[in-house]
Amino acid sequence: MRIENHPILEFKRTKKVKFYFDGKEVWGYEGESIAAALHALGIWEYREGLKTKRPRGLFCAIGHCSSCLMEVNGVPNTRICVTPVKEGIIVKKQLPKGDLVEKL
Amino acid sequence: MKNYDILIIGGGPAGISAALAASKFNLKVALFEEKETLGGQLVKQTHKFFGSKDESAGTRGIFIAQKLINDVNNKDNIDVYLNSMVLGYYEDGVVTALVKGKMEKFKPKKIVIATGAFEKSLPFENNDLPGVFGAGAVQTLMNVYGVLPGKEVLMVGSGNIGLIVSYQLAQAGVKVKGIVEISEKIGGYLVHASKVRRLGIPIYTKHTITKAIGENKVEGAIIENIETKEKKQISCDVICLATGLMPLSDIINQINCEMKYISELGGYVPVHDDNMKTTVENIFVAGDTAGIEEATAAMLEGELAGLYASYELTNIFDNRINEIKERLKEFRKTSSKVVSGLKKLNLYNDFTVNSQEDLGKLHRTGIPEKESIESNIPKENKRFAIIECYQKIPCNPCVSSCPTNAISMDSLNGIPKLDTNKCIGCGNCVAICPGLAIFVVDKESVLLPYEFLPLPNKGDIVEVVDREGKFLEKNIVLNVRKMKDKTNLIEVKVSKEHINNARHIRVVK
Ligand code: SF4
Ligand code: SF4
Ligand code: FES
Repeated sequence: MRIENHPILEFKRTKKVKFYFDGKEVWGYEGESIAAALHALGIWEYREGLKTKRPRGLFCAIGHCSSCLMEVNGVPNTRICVTPVKEGIIVKKQLPKGDLVEKL
Repeated sequence: MKNYDILIIGGGPAGISAALAASKFNLKVALFEEKETLGGQLVKQTHKFFGSKDESAGTRGIFIAQKLINDVNNKDNIDVYLNSMVLGYYEDGVVTALVKGKMEKFKPKKIVIATGAFEKSLPFENNDLPGVFGAGAVQTLMNVYGVLPGKEVLMVGSGNIGLIVSYQLAQAGVKVKGIVEISEKIGGYLVHASKVRRLGIPIYTKHTITKAIGENKVEGAIIENIETKEKKQISCDVICLATGLMPLSDIINQINCEMKYISELGGYVPVHDDNMKTTVENIFVAGDTAGIEEATAAMLEGELAGLYASYELTNIFDNRINEIKERLKEFRKTSSKVVSGLKKLNLYNDFTVNSQEDLGKLHRTGIPEKESIESNIPKENKRFAIIECYQKIPCNPCVSSCPTNAISMDSLNGIPKLDTNKCIGCGNCVAICPGLAIFVVDKESVLLPYEFLPLPNKGDIVEVVDREGKFLEKNIVLNVRKMKDKTNLIEVKVSKEHINNARHIRVVK
């Protein structure tokens, strides 16, 4: 969910773009982080814990904890909290270590 | 290979301040920032800062950030490298960085490391569930991207970050179910605590979180009284951790700077002197990397590091260096934690901190004692300000905001005192106070600061609430003063019996 009116801030939102999450078409504002766009749509599960196999989501949102690693355009271990949304990118939930094979 | 006089790692408040300081000497400066934008955590701070006028007190963090960023962009001798991650430091003084995805080499004469900090987690059952977020992440989502972090939030930690983020969540329209604090006293500034209590947010002191409930997402939390072991279940979809920060030292660890574990400063910090020099020649640190403190201290430290590094290069000693050291001392006068940490670095050795009084009920609940409330009410029947600011904190913008000099304070860390004879009830101090701790009371009305939506109109009926957010009565809005900095002033009619307790309003649709 997005904040429409805020007592202090004004959000400069750019153009809406389409991208893909696990095969589904989703959207975000160009340039915002992939994590922000997914979070706004209620998608909070980004990968599976390495040992625990439990769902993991956002934690730090500043690119330092590795909790949000996903596969973006075939590149695994992408920190989606610091990676901007672009038209048509393909984002996939990542299994433990990620897999490069698909890219090759 | 590119040559620079000073290379700064980190484009937050400390790094920017260092760059601006160095640019005064016409040195060639490079400023590296890993992300797409400058400003670091400052761009998420929608609240007004404490401090004195010299440090932009009473100004919102976002506006301070905007000014710093504009200043940097207007300097020809600062090269800003955005989306650029510094990767390595080599013994010959070469720095490597990934600049927009390409590896590049740099050879600076001096380096200032201002990489900031990282959020600490907390051990409890299911703390890995999606929905357990660091306070910085919550701020990023809502204040940078305008995305609601969730619907109902449990905050863990009542330091300044926990209190401020709770207030910001409420401003964004999120319900804050409570703030959990393990110690018996509230950790942050008590004016911030009073601000959230007015909204009806409870603060559970002597409590800790023991479990997050939920399968794939947070659905609630169990909190426990650490003395009685009594448990309480709270439903929420977000658990926000504001349990402290840790200096980020990835780059410093590559340089053989001596490091020391100082819990008061957040963890491992580089040993440094009072000019921000580390134990390695030409390497400086500033901001949270040098030890966790407030943003104001980070800006001062950054400026200091920038000036001192420039001095070593140019031999021009700027007197501002001594001035900053004094400002920092004044600022740290009431921070016993930071000062005891600095002492472990052999700094501030003969410095004594003003002891913080135990403010009883206020320290435990965010609500002042009855006696302190009553001591504010003057005998004579007139319009006057009520200042509910009882703790020694480095803040004084109320003093200079007053046109009749009715407010006095013995030092930056003093407690404001009002001369009711001089006060004309103009409300200037209400508008500027970053703690939202001042109100103007008249015979049948209260003027209060209001930073929420929707803004009521003159003539509307609103709910008048007390210091705990409890409903007192419905009454009419007499006046609305829209302010440029968005701390609007609302004057609401209040019946005599409630005049000393009416401290906030709720607009009912
Ligand atoms: S209300 Fe006006 S006159 Fe009274 S203390 Fe505040 S600024 Fe001064
Ligand atoms: S009353 Fe004065 S000292 Fe206290 S928070 Fe407000 S401006 Fe600062
Ligand atoms: S949420 Fe921590 S790296 Fe993305």
